[in-house]
Amino acid sequence: MLTVTGLSAGYDAIDVLHSVDITAEQGEITVLLGANGSGKTTMFKTISGLIRPTAGEIEFNGKPITRRPASAIVGAGIAHSPEGRHLFPKMSVEKNLVLGGYTRRKNRSRQRELLNQVFELFPILHEKRHDPSGSLSGGQQQMVAIGRALTADPRLLILDEPSMGLAPLVVKQVLEAVVEINRTGIGVLLAEQNATQALRIAHRGYVLAEGRVVLSGSADDLLHDSDVRAAYLGM
Amino acid sequence: MTLFIQQLFNGLALGGVYCLAAIGLTLVFGVLRIPNLAHGSLYMLGAYVTYFFLTAVGVPYVAAIGLAAIVLAVVGILLERLVFHPLRKSPHTHHMIAAVGAMFFFQAVAQVIWGADFRRMESPFEGTLSIGGAQISWQRIIIILTAVAVLALLTWFIKRSIHGQTIEAVEQDRTGASLAGISPNTVSMLTFALAAALATIAAGLVAPINLLSPTMGAALDLKIFAIIILGGLGSIPGAIVGGFLLALAEVMTSTYVSSAAGEAIAFVVLVAVLAVRPTGLFAKAVQR
Repeated sequence: MLTVTGLSAGYDAIDVLHSVDITAEQGEITVLLGANGSGKTTMFKTISGLIRPTAGEIEFNGKPITRRPASAIVGAGIAHSPEGRHLFPKMSVEKNLVLGGYTRRKNRSRQRELLNQVFELFPILHEKRHDPSGSLSGGQQQMVAIGRALTADPRLLILDEPSMGLAPLVVKQVLEAVVEINRTGIGVLLAEQNATQALRIAHRGYVLAEGRVVLSGSADDLLHDSDVRAAYLGM
Repeated sequence: MTLFIQQLFNGLALGGVYCLAAIGLTLVFGVLRIPNLAHGSLYMLGAYVTYFFLTAVGVPYVAAIGLAAIVLAVVGILLERLVFHPLRKSPHTHHMIAAVGAMFFFQAVAQVIWGADFRRMESPFEGTLSIGGAQISWQRIIIILTAVAVLALLTWFIKRSIHGQTIEAVEQDRTGASLAGISPNTVSMLTFALAAALATIAAGLVAPINLLSPTMGAALDLKIFAIIILGGLGSIPGAIVGGFLLALAEVMTSTYVSSAAGEAIAFVVLVAVLAVRPTGLFAKAVQR
């Protein structure tokens, strides 16, 4: 459903990505692996319209979305929970979630439904719905970030390092939530430092290095590939 | 006591005007991080455009303010699109220089159209109300009531309506807002439109009390910058409290000390508050 072809992008005329091709299939979890600085975040920012690519095409459900503004891309069905979360820290958890559905605000009943789904997925957020999101713990803030992307009613959810800086137990919780979300039919594009854990829940994976795809394949194959294990899984 | 009541109402009326003008400045700062030195010029133009609708077109006072607010909202949007938007990636100094340029431009425009002489606008609300022996002009009471009503409406808009919430969203995290599908461009334009319209309401309300001149905005600029720094940059409650606080201090000092001291007291209060709370009374946007 998401097809990225020959994508180059970067900052201030210095490309970080060099002609990258990836696809994320409908309803699958696709994981992006790679060291810091390999271009995962740049790729996500380019897909969601925060950065303009210098070359290449991005198609979503057969329609070109390259160079569209971020708000149009959310409208097309791609929601991005970014690295560093970027919540509205002084607003309540509930307001954060409601604003996530800004592009779908006309459909009030669906918004209500999505909000309840988020609260079902992360019951702690319901408990803390009136608290400013900035006062929550790191794990809870991550849940708000994922929830805010979900209220946009996406077909594809981009999660950039959702487990960064979280305690192992919370990481497990977050990844379980990702599986849960995927079970409802939403495709997930995930960047993760915990390669083993990510590959275990994913269908397909790509390994990036210095802005290029160096390996790709089914998650199972990657998990058992000796190169990947040596380079990224530390085994 | 009569004098005190009289001055209390004068202070509240002035405070209402300061608040309306200062909120726009603080909103623009919150969203775009620009100290818009041309804000006082928008206020000045708002007064003249109200004057134009009232005298040249001949519509009633309230309608004149309303129409002027719409005209100035468009001017605000143009200012954002033509001056600040193209500079969004340049250093801060460029914004300030551009704002000063816009300020001179607006002053020149007003001077070309209406001349450099002072103009007087008649108050449509004649007469006074007697409160505790003091004679309060209806114009001042109208200013206070309108300011309170507009401030309440604005607070509702920003805190409760989803469109108003987009302003706070961009203020708190621009990237997060973009990813939620909120266009920071649209929000910037909305903020400028709102700021200019509020300044116009302030100007239209106070015009029958003060005289109109192309440089009337510059004097206000100093005061409202003091107010938003006092209240905490980017904070709406800060602008409201700061506006009334400075206006009352100004009026009371003018009455009981001297009018020269009244002009300076704003900055004495500012220095005193910043000495105790360097981020202002309601620090919000400054703490990152």
